[in-house]
Amino acid sequence: MQEREEQLRAWMTDGLAGDAGAHAALLRALVPLLQSFYRRRMRGAEHDVEDLVQETLIAVHTRRASYDRDRPFVAWLYAIARYRMIDHFRRQRITVPVEDLADILVAEGFEDACAARMDVARLLSGLSSKQARAIRDTHIDGLSVAEAAQAARIGESDVKISVHRGMKLLAARIRGERP
Amino acid sequence: MKTDDLIQSLARDVPAVPRHALGGRIAFGIAGGGVITSALLMAALGIRPDLWIAMHGFAFWMKWTYTASLAIVAIVATMRLARPDALPSRWLWLLAIPVLLLAGIGIGELADTPSRDWLAMWLGQSWKICPWLVLTLAMPIFVGLLWSFRRLAPTRLRAAGAAAGLAAGAIAATIYCLHCPEVSAIFVLTWYSLGIALAAGVGALVGPRILRW
Repeated sequence: MQEREEQLRAWMTDGLAGDAGAHAALLRALVPLLQSFYRRRMRGAEHDVEDLVQETLIAVHTRRASYDRDRPFVAWLYAIARYRMIDHFRRQRITVPVEDLADILVAEGFEDACAARMDVARLLSGLSSKQARAIRDTHIDGLSVAEAAQAARIGESDVKISVHRGMKLLAARIRGERP
Repeated sequence: MKTDDLIQSLARDVPAVPRHALGGRIAFGIAGGGVITSALLMAALGIRPDLWIAMHGFAFWMKWTYTASLAIVAIVATMRLARPDALPSRWLWLLAIPVLLLAGIGIGELADTPSRDWLAMWLGQSWKICPWLVLTLAMPIFVGLLWSFRRLAPTRLRAAGAAAGLAAGAIAATIYCLHCPEVSAIFVLTWYSLGIALAAGVGALVGPRILRW
């Protein structure tokens, strides 16, 4: 997963330098990523998903000057994808609650996004030990919430809250809001 | 259109994007609008005849420092909001510094002036038109910034519109200083700020419609 952010970012940077091959490779790699992003959020509207994927590719292409080479690529990508989805709903005149970018980054796999900035161990080191342990147990070592609760001798809801709060903090950090 | 075909046609046109393309584009939009605003100022209002003398005085530099520092903060905010993953701008309180400094100077001036002259000092010669002139002069710069945004990706449209309006207003006020002969701090604090705030308000109002992409 770590390679994905690095690979995408490398293609993006080369594309910005004028390398058309890298740019095409980037756009092709984004197709399955965006498909799963929209499918998960627009259940049952396959036609809309294809439209949104294409609109997002066009936006990635025409608005690539808005990408900051020093910041994670996927955060930029999902911010654009999220905006296209909000605009899509607006055109359809329906109101749908859309998650914050922070929640999207977490939902799309936080390893993915944070790989750009730091490795997981270093990332977790900034959290409280309870939050770090809860995240490590449930998201890296693959324990269930019940198992993690038993191992740490705390309640299940405590584990869930620790994971939730820790993830919020991580997402903020991935986006560069916090040191 | 098939997605593969779309990608192929997009990949046919891949110009290099310099590292500071975003800043360059915003600077270009501001410069384009600024030229028109300056031309408007010279044609319709004229540069104050005593500009050279005024530039040796405190009041002129007080005004310029005030409007230029607002402009700098607003431009930085505009550049940030031009990116889709814009971070919340927690440093916008910096805008309060020039306002408070100017208010401090204003209080000092009031203390040195007999209170029967306060009203005249506050209203100056041009309080009725000053905010509207600033707002009018801001429009070309605002349009220039809208052009800049066309290749950028603001996602918080109201905030982006407000920041662009604020930047346009503050830059327009800086240019307007070349015409306006008013000297008191409370005049600038009230009527200049009102004009700049109106420009920001217009930006916030039209942002969600005009900046959509």
